[in-house]
Amino acid sequence: MIEVEGLTKRYGAFTAVRGLSFTVRPGEVLGLVGPNGAGKTSTLRCLAGIIPASEGSVRIAGNDLAVDPVAAKRALAFFPDEPRLFDYLTVRQHLAFVARIYGVVHYEDLARSLLAELELVEKADVLPGELSRGMKQKLVIACGLLHSPSVIFFDEPLTGLDPLGIRRMKDSIVRRARDGAAIVLSSHLLHLLEEVCTHVLILKKGDKVAVGTLAEVSTQFSNGEPNVSLEEIFIRATGGSET
Amino acid sequence: MIGALLYLRLTSLRNLVVYRVSRMRQPKYLVGTAAAAAYFYFVLLRRSAFPRTPSATALFSGVGTITMTFLCVGFSTLALLRVAYAWISPAEKPGLRFSEAEIAFLFPAPVTRKTLIHFRLLSAQLAILFTSVLMAFLFNRFGYLGGNRAMRAVGWWVILSTFDLHLNGTNLTLARLREKSSAFVAWRVAVVAAIALYLAAVVWLTAAFAKAAPPGDFSSAIGASGFIHALMDSSPLRWLLLPFRIVFGPYFASGFREFGMAMIPALLLLALHYYWVSNTEAPFEEGSIALAEKRAAAKAAALAGESPKIGGSRPRARSGPFPLSPKGPPEIAFLWKNLLSMRSSLLNRRMVLISIWVVFCLSIGLRPLLMARSRGGGADVVSPIVVMFCAMLAVYTLLLGPQVVRQDLRNDLPNADILKTYPLEGWRLAFGELLAPTVILTLSLWLSILVCAVIIDPGGSIGWLTPGVRVTTALCMASAAPFLCFIQLIVPNAIMVLLPGWYQASRSRAGGIEMFGQRLIFGVAQLLVALLAAAPAGCAAVLIIFAAQWVVGAGPAIGLACAAVLTILVGEAAVGLWWLGGRFEKLDLSADIR
Repeated sequence: MIEVEGLTKRYGAFTAVRGLSFTVRPGEVLGLVGPNGAGKTSTLRCLAGIIPASEGSVRIAGNDLAVDPVAAKRALAFFPDEPRLFDYLTVRQHLAFVARIYGVVHYEDLARSLLAELELVEKADVLPGELSRGMKQKLVIACGLLHSPSVIFFDEPLTGLDPLGIRRMKDSIVRRARDGAAIVLSSHLLHLLEEVCTHVLILKKGDKVAVGTLAEVSTQFSNGEPNVSLEEIFIRATGGSET
Repeated sequence: MIGALLYLRLTSLRNLVVYRVSRMRQPKYLVGTAAAAAYFYFVLLRRSAFPRTPSATALFSGVGTITMTFLCVGFSTLALLRVAYAWISPAEKPGLRFSEAEIAFLFPAPVTRKTLIHFRLLSAQLAILFTSVLMAFLFNRFGYLGGNRAMRAVGWWVILSTFDLHLNGTNLTLARLREKSSAFVAWRVAVVAAIALYLAAVVWLTAAFAKAAPPGDFSSAIGASGFIHALMDSSPLRWLLLPFRIVFGPYFASGFREFGMAMIPALLLLALHYYWVSNTEAPFEEGSIALAEKRAAAKAAALAGESPKIGGSRPRARSGPFPLSPKGPPEIAFLWKNLLSMRSSLLNRRMVLISIWVVFCLSIGLRPLLMARSRGGGADVVSPIVVMFCAMLAVYTLLLGPQVVRQDLRNDLPNADILKTYPLEGWRLAFGELLAPTVILTLSLWLSILVCAVIIDPGGSIGWLTPGVRVTTALCMASAAPFLCFIQLIVPNAIMVLLPGWYQASRSRAGGIEMFGQRLIFGVAQLLVALLAAAPAGCAAVLIIFAAQWVVGAGPAIGLACAAVLTILVGEAAVGLWWLGGRFEKLDLSADIR
């Protein structure tokens, strides 16, 4: 469960995110959308504990991120848009490293099944430099899921993936939510929201424009017109341009 | 065509200068430039004064001879090894050095191969001219080499141009042989054998001369310089080293007449090299493209902040330094990861080969001097040299080691976002990251301490320096070593989290005076913190030893001082670590690196 109350992030005089409040329950997938510069990445980075919020509170699985960051981080996984890996660790060594960091005592079986699920078994002993971008992304996911997080953040999860990779990523997100994870993802791709997300949060210039289920947000911006596309709703909600 | 190439070079140079000047509006570049300018003025441009008495002049002349000899021997050996390496391990497709943009614009352009070669030579000349002037200032700042800086600069230009032409000629010849000759391997074996024979002949003749020469006075620079002069003038060596004498002739010249005479054969040799390069018809295009891609990848990696990889070889998967259990302190996981990374980046095959070569060359180079010295007096000259080397190694380990061994937070800066999602307090993460370089630097210090402890044996001539005191001192120093290394490693990591924008710019290996200045500032900061950290511990040690030795004796007094030193160093390390961890938790790269 993710509980956000009055989240504000400032960089000097510039406010990137202003007074954001929302909740994501287990099994829900919240899509974070908005034009470039709307504050999506800042929001995600604050939620994942990468940067401190200027104001407000974030609770991850019941733990306040500012008060008990270690307990909160133990429950979350963050997947950046670019796969960040250690150059000199093989696929298998990445998993061993992450297991020690998170204290996953009997990780071998889980690692084996994750490698099999993500089709990385044959690449278990190679370095990231020898992996394709899609495979690197899979390795990041394997590392992130090794400690069975109950809260997951994805930043642009489909960047750089081929069509098959995109389908598998969507399936993976839906499966994790079905298993009880609370998920937040940011993306520019509206079809991803339609297929994967149960809820949507639209941001513009750091402010919350709309939040709710897809149906609720559609109703809010359709002005009573039937069959208004999500793209049209997005444009009406945000003005459609970069901020 | 050459006009267009000149236009490209000069316009690029002008725009680069304009860009560099305009970015000085940012404080980090302005301060860096100011620091570098001050350094160049005080260290390079101001020629140091020294007394002009006849004895002092003779002494400085001797020092000059020794310096120049080592410089020439070092440069010649490197040049020979570089050429030998090109023949031993030629690139799959030998090529010339062009940038990716030059290849994209010039290779499809309607120009001949010869024009492209001229473009390459012309491009190299700009860098060679700049380097020549810099070297002239750098190696002649004390004035004891004689001559003047203009002659030195021209001398350097001759040396560097000849070497550049020779390397280009080698690459073109290799490319031609690979394509045209069925006996490519035989050619390579023959050339490498010739170089090896040549080196062996030089070494053997030097050793033979040292053995036969009358005992000389090596206690002074003048005596050693006399030996070197006699060695160089000995008959077989004089002819064997002729090519190098020609190349280094203008550089060695001490007057205008001598310089002019030396320039004639040097320019002739240069012209021969030019003829060789410009008239070798070889397909260098594919090799040049591969070389440009490799250089572009290295540049991109440097700009992304990755650590330089010695040897440039691709990393290989290796087993961990020790089995990593999923149970236990997570800090050990960072030690394991960073040691693994070190093995891949530092201990590659090329690095091991280079180390063996350095040891071999040092032992060969020192042999004649040691032989002649031992024949002269029979005194032990090895021990002081080894002790001095160990002392230098220890100082370099403490001051420069943290800049070289950087498998810590600095290396993981690109992964900072991921590290910050780990369920660890900042200080624990920082502690884990600093463990691996601390281990490496500590081992280096321990080696120095061990060797010194074994070798320094006054044999009773210093009454208080008993074996017990020596062992106690060595153990105390060894126990303080890890904490000193740890504190020293906190400094560059602290600079990184405090000024990530500065740090990122300086680690990118980008050129320019401002980058040099930034690195200089970081180096001074490292030195200052080292002194500040060591001062309280050092003062406490001196006071305790002074006060306690009268009561309990020297050995126990050193032990007491060691306890105090360790307490102070642990305290300093803990405060530094706590601060570093806190800063890392607050670090926001997206906001700070601008």
